[in-house]
Amino acid sequence: MTTATRQLSESARAASASESRYRIDVPIAPARAARVIALDERAAAVARHLAERPWAHARFFTADRPFGPEGRLRRLAGGGAAGGRPGAGGSEPPSESGAMAPGEMPAAPPGWVAAAPPDTVPDVPLDEALTGSDVVVVLATEDGGRDVAAAIGRFCGRRGITTAGVVLGDGFEADDAVAALRPYARVLLLSADESDAFELLTALRV
Amino acid sequence: MLRKDINELLTQTGPGSPMGELFRQYWIPALLAEELPENDCPPVRVKLLSERMVAFRDSEGRYGLIDEFCAHRGASLWFGRNEGSGLRCPYHGWKYDVSGQCVEVPSEADNSSFCQNVQLTSYPLVKIGDLLWTYMGDRATQPPLPEFEWIHVPAEQTYTSKRWQQCNWLQAFEGGIDSSHVTFLHSGGLKTDPLFKGAKGNEYNMNDTKPFFEVADSDGGLFVGARRNAEEGTYYWRITPWVMPAFTMVPPRGDHPVHGHFWVPIDDENCWTYSFDYHPVRALTDTERQAMIDGHGVHSKNIPGTYRPMANMDNDYLIDRAAQKRGETYSGVAGIAMQDASLQESMGPIVDRSKERLVPADSGIIKARQKLRKAAIALRDEGVTPPGVDPEHHRVRSAAVVLPRAESFLDSCRDAVRVTPGVPQSSV
Ligand code: FES
Ligand SMILES: [Fe+2]
Repeated sequence: MTTATRQLSESARAASASESRYRIDVPIAPARAARVIALDERAAAVARHLAERPWAHARFFTADRPFGPEGRLRRLAGGGAAGGRPGAGGSEPPSESGAMAPGEMPAAPPGWVAAAPPDTVPDVPLDEALTGSDVVVVLATEDGGRDVAAAIGRFCGRRGITTAGVVLGDGFEADDAVAALRPYARVLLLSADESDAFELLTALRV
Repeated sequence: MLRKDINELLTQTGPGSPMGELFRQYWIPALLAEELPENDCPPVRVKLLSERMVAFRDSEGRYGLIDEFCAHRGASLWFGRNEGSGLRCPYHGWKYDVSGQCVEVPSEADNSSFCQNVQLTSYPLVKIGDLLWTYMGDRATQPPLPEFEWIHVPAEQTYTSKRWQQCNWLQAFEGGIDSSHVTFLHSGGLKTDPLFKGAKGNEYNMNDTKPFFEVADSDGGLFVGARRNAEEGTYYWRITPWVMPAFTMVPPRGDHPVHGHFWVPIDDENCWTYSFDYHPVRALTDTERQAMIDGHGVHSKNIPGTYRPMANMDNDYLIDRAAQKRGETYSGVAGIAMQDASLQESMGPIVDRSKERLVPADSGIIKARQKLRKAAIALRDEGVTPPGVDPEHHRVRSAAVVLPRAESFLDSCRDAVRVTPGVPQSSV
């Protein structure tokens, strides 16, 4: 099973470990301007947690309720420096997601609906929040966010923004939200946890 | 993208490595039963999870998988004489039984008990279906035998081949849950391959090149659903199950036999791809079986007497740019198996995943890596038995179905993705 010493073709030589040394090695710039939108309280707690990481171009939002026809999102602090609060996040690389207690869902902060938590900045309309983005990741744990999910899906569909849905928890409580997202979301991660959302964002280089 | 250290964790399967220990929790294919066709046949070299062994079938038909090297002075037992219920090293005549126990040291006195203290490492080797399976972990935690449907249907309903793939197991396996490449790389095969063509589902496949994906946990791993537009108000779903660590099935097409793979690390830079086809309720036709032998479908045409594909990296995979121009193949490489293998091998022996640019459509792969990593760490740190060890987890099927748009594939296909003996696959 060792590599043939007599290599007959370009393919064999090119695929060898020694040839990997000559691959062009340039830093890969973060490729995507992501918006992460939490549709409900428990999802917002996850989003808030994720937003603390040092992303380059991700911005985090929660969908206000009731969503209303003009559809406003609440910006969470943190996220990418390219639009986040200066100094938000940090410079150390994201640690292994296992450190984030995968599977655990942070409890919803009290008064989430009633008043903006202290770490948020003022509301923005949906289209303003999504302008300039090329991938939207929607986090949901229950059906409360059904209308928002549909509105985001339609908006992204029109603008050619790739949409991904991450359904946190066992998913049964989010059937309607999933159904609302299904026509638009290029991918739905079902029965996901916080670490899945983290891995997705990391893999997408946001 | 994946951090370098996680890439190493997932790709290294030698003894003592976290992924290596994970693989050692499962029964895995060691070789095809045809490689040991009769009692006292020649022994076969087997390398798995970076351990070198020989497999042999003794005078009583018992199978053995033991350390390749003689305990005396390290000659390879591949040269061994398989005779009189054991494998005898031809150098100085030491002899071993299928459990690796030394049973004779000719240089010792006739009634010497010395040989009782000489025991080569050995692993169980059991024939199930057309394969010989081994379990390389701790004997105390040896799980029940595997129950995948393809190895339990009657012999006339199933066919398995294998091929040597010159890259790490993970990049080969990832192709098995990557439904979005089919419309491109394998587009030629959907039209012409005798084991693929003619299914209604192929039209949906070709008419909608931008599938949507849903990824859901299963008891043993994942279900990856790929959705394409079908008729008005409906979607065509292709559901790919993955059972940890390395079993994947391809969603069926029409009444063609159902195929799938088991990806087995040889060492960190090579793997065996076991490819199977079976039909849950009928015998394979002669034409189908011949097509499989000829390397169609997921199978490969191998160099006679070996499990190395005829089209391989030493001959540039016999790439045919004219056939590509004519539209017969998408990449110029013929055959589904080598279309996959050529590209996976072209990434290099172990692809550097820190250089990837993944997209949401790669979520199945992202999730699978995550599950492997979590399982390897939970096993290492807490001794948690990983998903896919319980044979109950093996009883899954792939499915291809047309569903009303509002329906969730998981809810609608609960029965379709479970093995029900006597019931055909759900297929379009
Ligand atoms: S398009 Fe997927 S590897 Fe190039
Ligand atoms: Fe493929």
